[in-house]
Amino acid sequence: MAIELKVSEVKMGEAYVGKWGMVIDQDMCTGCQACVAACAMENNISFVGETDSGYGRSMHWIRIERFWEGSYPEVKMTPNQPMLCQQCGAATCEPVCPAFATVHSQAEQLNLQVYNRCVGTRYCANNCPYQVRSFNWRDYKRPEPLSNQLNPDVTVRRRGVMEKCTFCIQRIHKAQDKAKSEGREVVDGEFTTACAQACPASAITFGRVDNPDSLVSQLARVHGHGVKHLEELGTLPNVTYFKGG
Amino acid sequence: MSDKLSRRDFLKLAGVGAATTAILTGCGPASRLVKREPYLQMPEYTYNGLSTYYATTCRECAAGCGLIVRTSQGRALKTEGSANNPLNLGKTCARGQATLQGLYNPNRVRGPIKHTRGERLYDTAADPFNDEFADAKSNMDWAAATQTVADALKNNKPEEIAFLMGMAPDHLFDLVADLANATGIQAPVRFGALSMFESRATLSKASENLFGQSGLPLFDVGGAQVVFSFGANFLETWLSPVSYTRGFAGLREAQTKLRGKLVQFESRMSSTAGKADEWMPLRPGTEAMVALAIGKLACEIRGIPMPRAFSDVDPLDAASKSGIKLEMLNHLAEMFANSTGALAIPGGAALGQSNGLAVAEAVLALNAVVDNFGKPGGVFFSALAPNQTEYQRPASAKEMAEFVQKMIDGKIKVLFVHGVNPLFELPTSLQFGGATKYVPQIISFATFPDETALEADYIFPDHHGLESWGYQRVATGSVGSVLSGAQPVVSPFYDTRATADVLIAAAQLAGGKFAAALPFKDEVEFLFSKVTPLISEVDGFFSAPDINTFMAYFQQYGGWWKTTDGRSVPNSADALNRSLSGAEAEFAGEGEFFFVPFVSPTLAEAGANKPWLQELPDPTTTVMWNTWVEMNPVTAEELGLEDDDLVAITSEAGVLEVPVYRYPAIRPDTIAIPFGQGHTAYGRYAEKRGVNPTDLIGQNFNEAGDLAFAGMKVKIKKIGKKKPLSRLESIMGVYGVGLGEEK
Repeated sequence: MAIELKVSEVKMGEAYVGKWGMVIDQDMCTGCQACVAACAMENNISFVGETDSGYGRSMHWIRIERFWEGSYPEVKMTPNQPMLCQQCGAATCEPVCPAFATVHSQAEQLNLQVYNRCVGTRYCANNCPYQVRSFNWRDYKRPEPLSNQLNPDVTVRRRGVMEKCTFCIQRIHKAQDKAKSEGREVVDGEFTTACAQACPASAITFGRVDNPDSLVSQLARVHGHGVKHLEELGTLPNVTYFKGG
Repeated sequence: MSDKLSRRDFLKLAGVGAATTAILTGCGPASRLVKREPYLQMPEYTYNGLSTYYATTCRECAAGCGLIVRTSQGRALKTEGSANNPLNLGKTCARGQATLQGLYNPNRVRGPIKHTRGERLYDTAADPFNDEFADAKSNMDWAAATQTVADALKNNKPEEIAFLMGMAPDHLFDLVADLANATGIQAPVRFGALSMFESRATLSKASENLFGQSGLPLFDVGGAQVVFSFGANFLETWLSPVSYTRGFAGLREAQTKLRGKLVQFESRMSSTAGKADEWMPLRPGTEAMVALAIGKLACEIRGIPMPRAFSDVDPLDAASKSGIKLEMLNHLAEMFANSTGALAIPGGAALGQSNGLAVAEAVLALNAVVDNFGKPGGVFFSALAPNQTEYQRPASAKEMAEFVQKMIDGKIKVLFVHGVNPLFELPTSLQFGGATKYVPQIISFATFPDETALEADYIFPDHHGLESWGYQRVATGSVGSVLSGAQPVVSPFYDTRATADVLIAAAQLAGGKFAAALPFKDEVEFLFSKVTPLISEVDGFFSAPDINTFMAYFQQYGGWWKTTDGRSVPNSADALNRSLSGAEAEFAGEGEFFFVPFVSPTLAEAGANKPWLQELPDPTTTVMWNTWVEMNPVTAEELGLEDDDLVAITSEAGVLEVPVYRYPAIRPDTIAIPFGQGHTAYGRYAEKRGVNPTDLIGQNFNEAGDLAFAGMKVKIKKIGKKKPLSRLESIMGVYGVGLGEEK
């Protein structure tokens, strides 16, 4: 008997429009790390200490990349590049998870990480071309009373679990719940992610990319030369970068 | 839910209730007694699952940014910028975000302590990441503490009592100033490492020399088209980083105007210079000469009769001495002279040299060539905050040296320290550590067990900033006059007490003129007395008929500010009519390398005890949790050094051992070390981590009395050991990875 496989339609390239998205203006970004700190505070991210961070086990969900071009005295720092989960429309991390811990949500069109399904194979991190997933190598301690600041809206992860940027899904849900209880749609700019809210240079903008009137869509349109990272891999990222300079 | 009240309506009502109580809790002095407790005894305005938000002011630096703190059931969960506050308009820096890790820091002083000098306040475990720390127990009660302070005030001659205070909070400084003025005790001295590295005194003195008026200039980066910054690290820690970063975003904005350009002149590429379109790695000490040369060439381009200020400089000479080619100077001068909005900013290491004052004058004079004073994209004097006077300015390093001399001379019998950690923040060469033994009694109000608290006889811990009342004057960065207000967002976590309350109570106990100087019931009443005059001010963001309502708004919005432009225009009529010196700086000490200490953009002077600030990668090197010395790869190769090789750096003031980071964007004759680490106390995350570059800085000042911290020459010697640095960028070379010697 032939088995009929039902695969949900994957739109490719031009046809793809995500739901939530972000634009990041690298010309504005000063690399000040406010977004990194804000993300850690909002999402209960563990700090790992000097030794483990030296081994590359730090758990930043967002990091600022900068590269060098040329050598002294003609040396240039490339525009700071905040790198976070691109919430790909066709995410390469998703099909390799044997536990369906990283799945695509139909409702938010986001790439989810379900912590209590994760068994820690790390296949997803291995397959992520953006290297934005971080793994809990240990149960990192938060000595008392540091745990008082834990955000009750975000799960605290334990050893052996993969984690990554969620586009602050707890904030998305909170705003949606509020809008629903008031019988309206979520208004553009009503809420934003922790990184975008903190950014002193307003380099990060978050919103609905499927709404042509939202600020993210307008910025992408006006700016005109937005770039999606590693677009050629067909991952359909939902983060658009404006290159500096 | 009853039939009549739907869940939706209930939530609506709950929302209204939350909004109303946010105002009501501020009403009347009784509000200070409102406790925020866990949900067993639920306060009326707390709903399960709903957060309460409080406006307050960030205390991580003295800029005075407004915060909105999300709290839930008595715990502070997240800080965000206050969108109302005109200084930061809803934004924060990394340190503002991490302030909660100070509030809930595992090493805080938990109650009043009578202390033997030098005694540890906690046991340092071998692994700072485990739980087994024994914090020093409080060994006295607050009544005895207050009596101790009262005795100290009463039993010493007023002129032998001194207060050393930090840059924040301002309300406490005002209280001590009032006490000092009324009783004859020494005028309080305030200091902060940031003000030292910002060279504030130099900026103010240069303004006085050029414009006939001292004050902190405000540079409208956002309105400019071309910004020449001579060492001003305004995207990191300089003066008001959040506000200046917003300005930078305005400079870069390219949809409604031309994209503005930034040129940074400094020998080491800071993260501000990393954002610049052009980085000019000039030879340290030639900043004044280069600025004057650009001024001269720009005057020629604009066809201005050559003013006296630029007449003495020879651009060719400046080019050869600074290492910037003459064609480049011409190009820069054209860029500056032909721009519709040119702006020149002096700051940071450029002013921290023996000729710092001349540098500041030369760079400020550049602005006179394009006459941008009082225009968009130009130079202003900062709007004065309510009640702001010259009296509240920070002490320069020279004044601190005089203060230390007073201690050594036995002119200070009791020293109160609050909000500053001079044993860490002042260079060792200024001898604060050695001078403490000449002071019979030292009383510290430290929140954290810092180095200075360990040298105190008593520690009477103040609340953390998020548990405190108060206000902070916004010294610079805003268009209007701003007083940022603070209120407790959570009830105090430990048995700490507001220093203002301790002083008020002690003054009452001491009686006589002390009691008369501070006739208040408590800190809140004092705050009311200081804020009351604002009710009658016009142009306020809000107004109210009576003080209780006014204070309610003050708490709700996190301060009070004017809606009008409070900036003033410098009088530049004579700015170019005096001769300015382009002489090179003199460098102290022997050695082949210029030494540039710079403030860590993420840690600054007091961030090292917050673990997440430690784990933020440095914006330029991506190093975490430690200190490094930046060295040009060519220099490193000549010296036979690789990444992570330990070197001994010797100046006339001291020696430091620090691992090498080969940094591609620094002059080969310059090395740089970040300031922020190297604590010998201050909690488990700060202690025994990295080194403090101020140990290398000698007692040299510029003409304005600021420390010539960048005016040193040093020697480097290879030690032959390695200290692997933890870095985000790549682990190549760290722990032997990639070198064929993996462990």
